[in-house]
Amino acid sequence: MEQEDKGPALTRRTFIKSAGVAGAMFLAAGAFPPLVRPALAAVKGENINEVLKRQFGNRKVSMSHVTINAPIIAENGAVVPLTITSDLPMNNNDYVKKINVYADGNPEPYIAGIELTPANGKAMFAMRIKMRKTSNVRAILETSRGQLYGAIKPVKVTIGGCGG
Amino acid sequence: MVVGRIKIRVPGTIRKGEVIPVMALVSHPMDTGLIKNKAGQIIPAYYINDVDIFYGNERVTHCDWSYGISANPFISFYLKADKTAPLKIVYKDNKGGVYQQSVQITPR
Repeated sequence: MEQEDKGPALTRRTFIKSAGVAGAMFLAAGAFPPLVRPALAAVKGENINEVLKRQFGNRKVSMSHVTINAPIIAENGAVVPLTITSDLPMNNNDYVKKINVYADGNPEPYIAGIELTPANGKAMFAMRIKMRKTSNVRAILETSRGQLYGAIKPVKVTIGGCGG
Repeated sequence: MVVGRIKIRVPGTIRKGEVIPVMALVSHPMDTGLIKNKAGQIIPAYYINDVDIFYGNERVTHCDWSYGISANPFISFYLKADKTAPLKIVYKDNKGGVYQQSVQITPR
């Protein structure tokens, strides 16, 4: 059989090709909606290790001086009370600059970044977070001198609180 | 539900230089953008992503939040009460809403 036409006529083959391209574009547009996101928010679908790698690289985190107060079993994953305390000093030369909070099992593990100043007097912050499933809760504190301190606490969740 | 109703609680009597606990509550749905309603449509993301806490003219604390914070966010933190000044908390959400309230702190 001889091909008589090389133009853009609508044969079965070109139709399938163009439909495929259009479908791919539609999917791409749906998967990455042009949302205005806060500067520090995570990239969609990142897991906890990728988030930590992106934020801290290979910097050493010492697992001391930080306490996470959370329930051992959280019945409702939509409301998990969390208190992060540290005995690190809060004076003008040396203070806790930032508290980063993560829940490993969430669709977006990075939950909050809290910037403190010496005017706070004590390095403490309490909030209530959502957790999708049983996982670890992490806190990583950054001091003004650039050191990192962290803590990990496992929390069991009976009913997930993120939906989806 | 009224969005953006704020309650701030500080101790009744404050001594100068004392480190006081501050508690604040704001009403907000904090929708994640992952949950569907009964008609099967996704409820769009609607959450507070930025919190600024000012003591006088100084910004003492700043929070970047994702939707992982529970609905009606409650926060608690410490503040060194060393001057007579208002404590102002400003919440901003991802749809441009700004909610703020201040309490006067008068240490004796």
